[in-house]
Amino acid sequence: MTAPALARRVVASAPVVAVVGALALTTLVMLVVGVDPTLAYPALVRGAIFDGNLEYTIAAFVPTLGMALAFALPLRAGEFNLGGDGQLAIGGVTAAALALLVPLPPVVAVVLPLVAGALAGGLVAAIAAPFSTRLRIPAIVSTLLISAPAVSLASYLVRFPLAEPNTGIAQTPTLPDASHLPFMGGSGYVTIGLPLIVVLTGLWLHIDGRTVTGYEIRATGQNREFARYGGVKVDRVAALALAGGGAFAGLAGALIVLGPPYRFVDGALTAPGYTFTAVAAVLLASARPLAIPVAVALLTVLQVGGLGMEREAGVPSQLTQIVQGLIIVIVAVLATVRARRGVRG
Amino acid sequence: MTDLAAELIGVSKRFGPVLANDGIDLAVARGEVHAVVGENGAGKSTLMSILYGLHRPDAGEIRRDGQRITLRSPADAIRHGLGMVHQRFRLFPDLTVAENIVIGAEPVRRGHLDRAAAHRAVAALSEKYGLRADPSALVRGLPVGVRQRVEILRALYRDAEILILDEPTAVLTPGETDRLFEVLRTVAATGVSILLVTHKLSEVMAVGDRVTVLRQGRVTGRFTTRETNANELVNAMIGRSLTPPAPKRAQPPQENPVLEVRDLTIHDADGVARLSEVSLSVHPGEIVGLAGVAGSGQRELIDSVTGLRGAVPGVFLAGTPVLSGRDPRVAYVPEDRHGRATAPGMSVAENILMGAQRELGSRWSLPRAAVKKRAKDLVERFSISAASVDIPISALSGGNAQKAVLARELTRPSHVVVAEEPTQGVDVGVRERVHALLLAARDEGAAILLQSSELSELRELADRILVLYEGRVVAEFQGDAHETDIGRAMTGATE
Ligand SMILES: Nc1ncnc2c1ncn2[C@@H]1O[C@H](COP(=O)(O)OP(=O)(O)OP(=O)(O)O)[C@@H](O)[C@H]1O
Ligand SMILES: [Mg+2]
Repeated sequence: MTAPALARRVVASAPVVAVVGALALTTLVMLVVGVDPTLAYPALVRGAIFDGNLEYTIAAFVPTLGMALAFALPLRAGEFNLGGDGQLAIGGVTAAALALLVPLPPVVAVVLPLVAGALAGGLVAAIAAPFSTRLRIPAIVSTLLISAPAVSLASYLVRFPLAEPNTGIAQTPTLPDASHLPFMGGSGYVTIGLPLIVVLTGLWLHIDGRTVTGYEIRATGQNREFARYGGVKVDRVAALALAGGGAFAGLAGALIVLGPPYRFVDGALTAPGYTFTAVAAVLLASARPLAIPVAVALLTVLQVGGLGMEREAGVPSQLTQIVQGLIIVIVAVLATVRARRGVRG
Repeated sequence: MTDLAAELIGVSKRFGPVLANDGIDLAVARGEVHAVVGENGAGKSTLMSILYGLHRPDAGEIRRDGQRITLRSPADAIRHGLGMVHQRFRLFPDLTVAENIVIGAEPVRRGHLDRAAAHRAVAALSEKYGLRADPSALVRGLPVGVRQRVEILRALYRDAEILILDEPTAVLTPGETDRLFEVLRTVAATGVSILLVTHKLSEVMAVGDRVTVLRQGRVTGRFTTRETNANELVNAMIGRSLTPPAPKRAQPPQENPVLEVRDLTIHDADGVARLSEVSLSVHPGEIVGLAGVAGSGQRELIDSVTGLRGAVPGVFLAGTPVLSGRDPRVAYVPEDRHGRATAPGMSVAENILMGAQRELGSRWSLPRAAVKKRAKDLVERFSISAASVDIPISALSGGNAQKAVLARELTRPSHVVVAEEPTQGVDVGVRERVHALLLAARDEGAAILLQSSELSELRELADRILVLYEGRVVAEFQGDAHETDIGRAMTGATE
């Protein structure tokens, strides 16, 4: 491919069109509601990257990436995991319960809750598998349906059995020191959750592209009948992929709880909308594995920067939600248009 | 030449390193059936896609009734009176025949679809062209041949004056093919021009008025069917003649059967018997042919033999029951290339890998180099023309994709080979090679179950031919039996 042709391909690629289009529309909205974009955008960048805000952004990047993998992994097998919130909450509450109730030696007090959180998240996601493989209720529905009661269950546990006594606040007590995630460098926000999630992402990329398991997952997602014909146990693979995704969500929940402020505050896991941002990022990356961390970084910057924009320029931070929504819409429209055009006899 | 409906002049199209069309001239006269033939990957589908606005040519022009036109999309093509019948039908299964035909150009009354008018229009069209189709039937339940007729009617409803059919007979039974050709003749007689892409030279000779032969993106021959013969066409297509089929062996070896089916009965979800007490056996070094009109139980039988139907009682491979899932002892070439035999979005290498992934890799590793090397070896051995093994298999021409499937399955270590329509969509040269491969596998001791809708293929290859009718084996013939006898048995006629 010649250089100009390559450049044209990149510029016309769905992610670029989506981001540029969404930003253009957002600018238009700003102008309509009377916000000065030349003030708003610098405020956004400052809010995400400068003035010591980079730490917040990285701290938010970790669970968002975890949730992105929670969506992306099952998607490779053709399953939509929209139950991230439930898996996240159950993972978090499991980790908190373990750290609070079981006296554990150092190191184990961090590792075990993380592992348990991942397992619990995986379990919640796996419940959806038989619905899809036996009853033919698509995972996109069953994961979503299971999510709400799972979030409620976590909320109940935090409000009653695990609640901090005599405060009336819906949160657990602070976890014992041994269960606090160590910080990275001199930061007060970025924990070892960052290298952990980076390593796990690398592991997933390896499994996806360079192992039989990854190959069978992708074949199942590309054409289930083909995979079945090839001897792949597609139902098992789909269940495994859902459980794997749920494990990433559960781990993300555990990482949040074991990080500052070291407790499960009811609603604190789901309120920031990690799941939605993660889904937007994966769609923006067109589910290309290597592009996912980049898309997550971009959307996290938008998300965190949005708060700065609200503080400084008085733009409601919901605007960044609108940007994400627009990105999803544009990506979806482009995908449909391409599917219609690109058909071959 | 007299009255030209369409002309392609100097049309070229490049896909990356592949020059799919290289300065092609093609003139289609009004009311003629113009066949386009050529090897796999010669550029036939590309040329048809250009004429239907699906691809834009890099160079050259298209003329309609002498006027130069530009086609940016199929919608443009339809406006210029072009119609295309796709091999994978684009019908809505839950709409009626009439609704499918008028969709996009519906007769409207007070803002709603005027059903009565739609039915009248469809009935009138059916009448005019002798294409029988019940306007109120749901498409879902219709046989393939009728669905294809609906596609043709849809094009004619939009006043197509040029009808493009790319390998329309690949999915049809011989009877349906005959009916299609009657229809094409009738339609052509009304002044509609027909462009017919096919690999079957008997079809060219039967319905074509003129033939254009493509080879490696160029025109290598133009013939009038009345003044040519199949041999001449083959020469123009592949640059040599075909070797006549090898004479039949006298006596197939008699050992214990490798594949044995005993009293197999299968009911569908509604309790209707799809297979009734089917028994058959295939011995090492033997090809058993399976004939029958579509839907006579072939699907159920083959899915039972391959294990895809689960653990079915009564099916034995080398003396032990067939394994549920996909029995690894069976090599299987499915007829549904897009639905089952390939994952169109995956690369050629990854499509060729399927089934061998656990040999080449393990749960925690799958060396890409090994995967690619294997694919490259097979691409070379089976002369599959692919720009690279990393491109998606959907970018291969139809015949080359079929060759990739054959390469994967015929090189699988297996006891039994099950082949459904193994030569669908492949050119005459490749067909000859596929036949040679199957015969060689047989001579090396493979037990082969061959399902084909082409009786000539069965007669050429099979040692014995079993005829399925309504889920029963109703007749068994020697491989050299008369075609008319086999055909009679296929309709259920007993003597
Ligand atoms: N979308 C595409 N991208 C890349 N290469 C393509 C594409 N479409 C066609 N080609 C290549 O162009 C060449 C011509 O393909 P085409 O499908 O026109 O062949 P064909 O004559 O229809 O063959 P067949 O008889 O096998 O259907 C082939 O080498 C094919 O691999
Ligand atoms: Mg073709």
